[in-house]
Amino acid sequence: MNKIIEYDSITKSYNGKVILEDFSLDIMEGDFLCIVGTSGSGKTTLMKMINGLIVPEKGNIFIGGRNIKDENLISLRRKIGYAIQGNSLFPHMTVFENISYVPKLEGKKEEELSEIVNETMKLVGLPDDIKEKYPSQLSGGQQQRVGIARAYANNPKILLMDEPFGAVDSITRFHLQEDLRSIHEKTKCTIIFITHDIYEAFKMGIHILVMNNGKIEQYGRKEEVFKYPKTDFVKNLIAMAKLS
Amino acid sequence: MIQKILNEFSVNFHFYMKLLAEHIGIIAVSISIAVVVGLWIGILISKKPKLANYIISVVNIVYTIPSIALLGFLISLTGIGNTTAIIALTIYGLLPIVRSTYVGITTIDPSIIEASQAMGSKELQILYKIKLPLAFPVIFSSIRNMVIMTVALAGIASFVGAGGLGVAIYRGITTNNEMLILVGSIIIALLALVLDGILGIFEKLVLSHKLKKIGYKRFTAVIVAVIVGLTTILVTQKSSKDTIEIASKPTSESYILAEIAGELIMNETDLDVNITHGIGGGTANIHPAIEKGEFDIYPEYTGTSWQIVLKKDENYTNDKFETLNKAYEESYGLTWRGLLGFNNTYSLGIRKELADQYNIETFSDLAQFANQFTFGAEYDFFEREDGYKALMDAYKLNFKKVRDMDNGLKYQALFDGKLDVMTVFTTDGQLSDSRIKILRDDKEFYPKYIAGFVIRKDIIKKYPELEEVFKKLENSISEMDMAEMNYRVEIGKESPRDVAISFLKDKGLWRDKDE
Ligand SMILES: Nc1ncnc2c1ncn2[C@@H]1O[C@H](COP(=O)(O)OP(=O)(O)O)[C@@H](O)[C@H]1O
Ligand SMILES: [Mg+2]
Repeated sequence: MNKIIEYDSITKSYNGKVILEDFSLDIMEGDFLCIVGTSGSGKTTLMKMINGLIVPEKGNIFIGGRNIKDENLISLRRKIGYAIQGNSLFPHMTVFENISYVPKLEGKKEEELSEIVNETMKLVGLPDDIKEKYPSQLSGGQQQRVGIARAYANNPKILLMDEPFGAVDSITRFHLQEDLRSIHEKTKCTIIFITHDIYEAFKMGIHILVMNNGKIEQYGRKEEVFKYPKTDFVKNLIAMAKLS
Repeated sequence: MIQKILNEFSVNFHFYMKLLAEHIGIIAVSISIAVVVGLWIGILISKKPKLANYIISVVNIVYTIPSIALLGFLISLTGIGNTTAIIALTIYGLLPIVRSTYVGITTIDPSIIEASQAMGSKELQILYKIKLPLAFPVIFSSIRNMVIMTVALAGIASFVGAGGLGVAIYRGITTNNEMLILVGSIIIALLALVLDGILGIFEKLVLSHKLKKIGYKRFTAVIVAVIVGLTTILVTQKSSKDTIEIASKPTSESYILAEIAGELIMNETDLDVNITHGIGGGTANIHPAIEKGEFDIYPEYTGTSWQIVLKKDENYTNDKFETLNKAYEESYGLTWRGLLGFNNTYSLGIRKELADQYNIETFSDLAQFANQFTFGAEYDFFEREDGYKALMDAYKLNFKKVRDMDNGLKYQALFDGKLDVMTVFTTDGQLSDSRIKILRDDKEFYPKYIAGFVIRKDIIKKYPELEEVFKKLENSISEMDMAEMNYRVEIGKESPRDVAISFLKDKGLWRDKDE
């Protein structure tokens, strides 16, 4: 497997408080990486560096071997899907308009857009008849699926998901998890998935990254992390996963 | 009442329609500029919270300036006319838009904006695809309020010589004609209601997403076309070349004199005339405007010019006319023409029967019998330095009883016998009543306010035919004539123009032209 994302000695602080220091990490192409860790440990910060929403003070980030400092951020972002917790759908746009948002920015024609929306909706398991509805008219689960569809619509190489299922009930979450796994199998897109639910991480991930206080506690294939937890912090987490 | 209003409206239909068109033109321009600039500033400061605090405070302070004060202040910068009105209305309109744009944008859920950013939208795309549509309800409701406010506020714009329905209201106030005020106000109210209705429908269409089907682009194009159309009407309205611009002060008498000059010019020459009636502040504002060339002619009083323009302390008397006119020609490029012959000044009036009984003609005659009479004047006459006391000293007057009296009630009090003698203006409309007699100021205690016309010298040079017109007007109006014309406008509710024309006909100055 090839490296698709590489953090190279990253340092980031907010208002003088260091969050990440000399942080390095490689992420493999086609991976499903789950990041778990305490709240405030820097997971979101790490993720937002990939599409340049947050810029590190020191260090470099490479995507496909190219330093993102030298890339056009606009076109880079259009190739990176982004789905976050809660409802970040555009409330004034229909399901169709939400999903076709990026392809439309890319200048795709109306017929192409229709085709893309149809395919993507099928992929994420959305019924055809909600296309003209507005987000407020959808159930919580449907809204999350539209969020995923919107992130997928422009055929991204990388999909960033920050606690995407944090706000839905457990049954809906179960179905969403199942479906996201099969989408990953179908598309082979690299998924980086932040969750605070260790059970979810082990269910979904290929690799697991455990973060605590801006430091890596452990990074490896999930079987390896599960069998050989490196630190007490990871051991505690796994004990919790077994309980749930 | 309703019958009267409808009647007034239908008789002067064209007058009101012209004012309505001007009103719509002025507010359309002001509102468009306010919305465009307000949005722009609001968007700009929505990214700079520090600057925003500062700007919003400034905006709030400006908003508390009374409109009359702002208009008065602007006159000294931008002169008289539609431009000043549009600037003032734009300033007031700007403020709510800036504030609501700022609030509308900054209260959007930041995760939505971040999502659009993360998906690769450019700044401008975030603005018009996400921020503006989401801030729309907040911004639009402030636009709606602002439009109503502007429609109403434009009503006072005629104070600075702008057109619009305020002209009717202001003329109604200054000539004591309630019908004009009423009809002008009703049309303004209706205009506000109609516009609010249209905006309400538009808002509903947008919020229920129905407008998307019509297409925003097509819709915007229509709006822009309408506004551009109205603006060009407004701009081109004024620029035809051979039009003489006449101004008048906000008094019935000034209106009538301006109409007399205007009608006679149009009757005698091929020139066109445009009259801007009732410039607020009178001489103080018209003089600078005519100097700049915004107006060509206006009716004025020698005594007023002497005091206000030339700033002389001593009283104006008729032998000073040469000095006055010379100063006008040399310092301002203006000249006096058509001295009408009447003197609009303070004087004393006495009940006719008493004048006959005691054979009183002059102020000095009055002094002999004053101790038998009750004297009345408005409150401020007793306060002013050149008022009651000065007059009493000058003529050694000593009344039996002295009362202060509201100006509007004075005449009735005299007719009812509650007063015997009172202060008057020599051309007061009610002086044409036969129950009162004016006394002669035989010691020239009061300055002379001889009415005439101030004209730009270059206009006389350019249109020499004007000389002839104003020669005809010389010494053509007596104090009685003027009082009678004022009476017809203020009490008889005739329009100044009708009174002017009938005056010209009576004097044999009017030539019937068959078209
Ligand atoms: N914009 C910001 N300004 C200041 N502090 C921030 C900002 N964003 C995050 N932080 C701080 O940085 C730390 C890491 O945040 P984050 O990456 O969001 O953690 P996680 O996603 O793991 O909960 C937290 O302590 C958070 O309070
Ligand atoms: Mg987070």
